[in-house]
Amino acid sequence: MEFDFREVLENIDLLARGAKLTIALWALAFIFGLVAGLPIGLARASTRWFAHGPATAWIEVFRNTPVLVQLVWFYFAFPVLTGMQMPAFVAAALGLALNTSAYCAEIWRGGIQGIVRGQWEAGRALGMTGPTLLRRIILPQAIRRMVPAFTNRAIELAKVTAIASVITVHELMYEARLLSANTFRPLEVFTVIAFVYFVVIYPATLLSYRLERRLAAKG
Amino acid sequence: MSYVWDFSPVFRDAGLLVEGLANTLKLSGLALVGGLVIGLLLALARIWGPRLVAWPAIAIIEFFRNTPPLVHFFWIFYALPIVTGVSLAPLAAAAIALSIQSGAFFAEVYRAGIESIERGQWEAGRALGMRFSALMRRIVLPQALRRMIAPLTERGFELVKTTALAATLAYGELLYQAMVITSRSFRPLELYTTVAVIFFVLLFGASLGIRWLEARVARGQR
Repeated sequence: MEFDFREVLENIDLLARGAKLTIALWALAFIFGLVAGLPIGLARASTRWFAHGPATAWIEVFRNTPVLVQLVWFYFAFPVLTGMQMPAFVAAALGLALNTSAYCAEIWRGGIQGIVRGQWEAGRALGMTGPTLLRRIILPQAIRRMVPAFTNRAIELAKVTAIASVITVHELMYEARLLSANTFRPLEVFTVIAFVYFVVIYPATLLSYRLERRLAAKG
Repeated sequence: MSYVWDFSPVFRDAGLLVEGLANTLKLSGLALVGGLVIGLLLALARIWGPRLVAWPAIAIIEFFRNTPPLVHFFWIFYALPIVTGVSLAPLAAAAIALSIQSGAFFAEVYRAGIESIERGQWEAGRALGMRFSALMRRIVLPQALRRMIAPLTERGFELVKTTALAATLAYGELLYQAMVITSRSFRPLELYTTVAVIFFVLLFGASLGIRWLEARVARGQR
């Protein structure tokens, strides 16, 4: 066995292009999932069944099925449901965003329910309506505590983006698989790819450790 | 939207799906046992090993926690045979990849559980003249294990979901069987919906069962 990284280096622009798409996929899915998660989390925290029921179903379905199954399903289902052809990238971004929305909803719910009831009552006593109360009193306190959980979600999502290669999104993992097949150099290609992912994801993990420690210290 | 659902291909090839489910469970079981053992070794090395052992353990744990599982599957299946000279069957490759990957997560659960036991407990045990092994067995582990159950279960669920990645190595688990049937029946929506439902029933059912068990155990302890 000997390492020969020449082919990998010669095709580095291919991998760089893949990495760009990975980052785009990750950012789109995370931002969309984060935002969409809030109303779903609120609905789940609601005591009204017509809000609570669908939100719970949404969350449980996404959390109890494999992401790969979800992506493959969306890849075939989106065109049927919308009647439009959809590029693989859009299907993957949307699928991952919906998946992330379910996980983020639970974080939103936990964070909001973690605020003591007195805060709600005080806001109501001041005559605030629900949305104002949420924006001015609850969320500013809750978000600080939710940051480590959201960071963890972002890290999980970064790893999950590799699965989009299965539905032919030309992101980093897809380019790696292609390169490995074309050059017969799987050892070099997959080793390099693993390190690329590690170098991108590990700093985020270290950051989340720091955030958790800081929050624990503040209490 | 005028899509006409037709589940007849699913029923026609139900036998293949059952076989796929059995393979999913087999891979889950293998990886669960492998992962729990590897995790224990990694945790022991990380907590009590000398530096020469602890650092590689930390490197393995952090590496596998911070890279995509799909990359592990491909590395073990396509690259490891070049290093070792032994080619692997898809099941073996998937089981190894999943064992190490979940082992890295299990190791951190073990470590957090053991380190969560207050120092006073250790000191009290030592003061009573207990050796390390007795202290672990009688004082630390009984308390730590109880705290580990929830995160271990959660990781177990993640593991079962990750087995679907073995489809990319053409291992005949549930998703792969659905892909095979789809390629000749052209009914992707029906087949993948069925696969999703099977996974959901399996995992959601298991989590309801565990919640029920936990409630019973909690009642028994009071």
